[in-house]
Amino acid sequence: MKKAAGLITSAALVLSLLSGCGGKNDTASTNAGGDNKASGGDTPVTLRMSWWGSDARNEYTQQVIDLYEKEHTNVKIEVEYAAFDDYWKKLAPQAAANQLPDIMQMDISYISQYANNGQLEDLTSYAGSQINTADVAENVLSTGNVNDKLYGVPVGVNVLGFQYDPSMMEKAGISEIPKDWDWDTYQELAKKAGAAGIYFDSSMAPDIFFHYYLRTKGFSLYNAEGNALGYDDDKLFEDFFGMLVEMIKAKAVPTQDILTQTKGIVEENDIVKGKGIGMWQWSNQYVALQQAVNRPMELAPMPGPDMEKGLYMQPSMYFSIASSSKQKEEAAKFIDFWVNDVEANKLIMGERGVPISSKVKEALTPELSETAKQVFDFVTEMEPLSSPMSPPAPAGSSEVREMLGDYAEQMNFEQITPAEAAAKFRGEANAILANNQ
Amino acid sequence: MRYSPTTSKTKNAPLALNASYSRKKRLRANLTGYAFISPFVIGFLAFTFIPMLVSLYLSFTKYNLFADPVWIGTDNYVKMFTGDANYLNSVKVTFIYVFVGVPLRLAFALAVAMILNSKSRMVGFYRTIYYLPSIIGGSVAVSIMWRNIFSNEGIVNSALNLLGIPNVSWFGNPNASVFMLVTLSVWQFGSSMLIFLAGLKNISQEMYEAASVDGAGAVPKFFKITLPLLSSVVLFNMIMQTIGAFMTFVPAYIISKGEGGPLGGTMLYSLYLFRQAFMFSNMGYASAMAWIMLLFVGVLTGILFKTSKAWVFYESEGGR
Repeated sequence: MKKAAGLITSAALVLSLLSGCGGKNDTASTNAGGDNKASGGDTPVTLRMSWWGSDARNEYTQQVIDLYEKEHTNVKIEVEYAAFDDYWKKLAPQAAANQLPDIMQMDISYISQYANNGQLEDLTSYAGSQINTADVAENVLSTGNVNDKLYGVPVGVNVLGFQYDPSMMEKAGISEIPKDWDWDTYQELAKKAGAAGIYFDSSMAPDIFFHYYLRTKGFSLYNAEGNALGYDDDKLFEDFFGMLVEMIKAKAVPTQDILTQTKGIVEENDIVKGKGIGMWQWSNQYVALQQAVNRPMELAPMPGPDMEKGLYMQPSMYFSIASSSKQKEEAAKFIDFWVNDVEANKLIMGERGVPISSKVKEALTPELSETAKQVFDFVTEMEPLSSPMSPPAPAGSSEVREMLGDYAEQMNFEQITPAEAAAKFRGEANAILANNQ
Repeated sequence: MRYSPTTSKTKNAPLALNASYSRKKRLRANLTGYAFISPFVIGFLAFTFIPMLVSLYLSFTKYNLFADPVWIGTDNYVKMFTGDANYLNSVKVTFIYVFVGVPLRLAFALAVAMILNSKSRMVGFYRTIYYLPSIIGGSVAVSIMWRNIFSNEGIVNSALNLLGIPNVSWFGNPNASVFMLVTLSVWQFGSSMLIFLAGLKNISQEMYEAASVDGAGAVPKFFKITLPLLSSVVLFNMIMQTIGAFMTFVPAYIISKGEGGPLGGTMLYSLYLFRQAFMFSNMGYASAMAWIMLLFVGVLTGILFKTSKAWVFYESEGGR
């Protein structure tokens, strides 16, 4: 009897893990919008919209929605938001239950998974009618394509670069970052900083920068079909990650145990503490970093050779419409408002990435803070130097990305050599990608 | 209790006690009882039992929430033990966490309980103070605080710096990080402590007095009187804490920012399960993991009960 009681108790406790998660999602999906017909005009329409982001983003997004509701009195927009990780945990069960919000913020690493599962509406026919795309560059809009169909309208674009504090660089005895620098120059400068007791950077996010590196060599992290890795020569892996390991050995980059702890916490970065020069990241992250550092900072392009081949304009996020939505046209109208309305974008102020509409970008420029202007200028400068984006990450890529991160960690801790990691990564990544087909 | 409306009547009318009538009555009484427990039963069936069955089915499938589950037999279970080094690592980390953390926590709880069992004027105050960490124990806030205390710029490192000791990266060392989780769990000893305290109060003072008369010191008293008489409480605490420890999730998730790092050093079983389910969308695999955990915890609890006959002393059964 006791045994049985123990079993049942533990069973209930263990399983409450799973049922607990499910329960939460149920409540999220019960406040689904009504079944209003999408005829526009004065018929009341209730749209559901969801996004991830910080408090600041939640606040101004609500203001944009208020503005829209004021202009379209028949439309009511219900909102759901969460932090990035939680957002996807909420969205997946909603997708399984066919209860996705009408408008949802989509990420580049998830869009193909949702699109291929038929969860998203093809927006090709909306672009140019409900959604005005006259002021949007073609290779920007096409970043929302999966299998040549537009499944997401990019909300803003970002570009990779090196964000640094020139005064710290001077302290390390480096006068400037040369134009058209390459990986050799980078290593030289970084080692110089390391010798001066200053960190040059805080390493590079493995998946993003290895992907960039592969692109400069004419490859990509995933192949076009999304069922295997996109490069064949493990030497590329060894060269890139070997370089990262060497930078740690040269004290140009903090050791992995420090990196693990400070990862994702801007305030703990070495630049903020006056011990480091810069950071490799997306342009939209510059504003937050500059605010934390609170000293004049600059943006430098990525190292080459062949930066033009590697660099791409990445949509910071998309707005997608659920294929199960009953008011797709109304949802599209709101996306149009977001993309093209100047007043709305004066609230947004490029927080979701540099606006894709050239008209909005122009109208916004005089209103921008000095820091935001730097980002706009940098993105504008990089746009002609970029190539079309590789296809969005395939299903299974989140697991591959985590695994690559694990191997990078192991290499940085010197528990595995880049050569061993290259071979293991290839085998395991290909297995995961093939398994997700 | 549930017969109370009828008993008064039947007492006064013994003739009414024919079989069919009483069966009807009993049925009605039972139905009332079932109606009263129905909120629990319905909740248990809908939110625990049926999901459990579904999860058992899913554990034999490949399921990513989007597409329909695909039956793959025992592949998930086979993969767990033969093809997934991360899984075996998470088992190892969890074992360290449980089998180091639980005894330490129990020992600590017992020690504090014995101190608080002494008669002193401030004892009520201290009891409250020591119990506080447990009230907020499993919460997100405490984990964040713990991370900040031991972060690079945290209070512990700052104190070390004052003494001229360089920074220690507490959560950055792959081999040591799990012990930071263990210390956090030891610190949350309050609920076990309260139960120990109640147990200690039940031990009659006369035994200690008798032992003192016989010249026994504090140590023999502890091992010959306190521990045997407390053994049933120890068993209870041990089982509850072990089950709880196997399911620990929040501190590992918060402290490692959901990644279980460094090098999987804080990848507790539940965290890995969660990552498989909600980050990699491997719902089938995650369900299989949950069932293995359920079986393991069940078997372990069974073993604890079996062995308890050898070391748990029940006064009421005359010491058998």
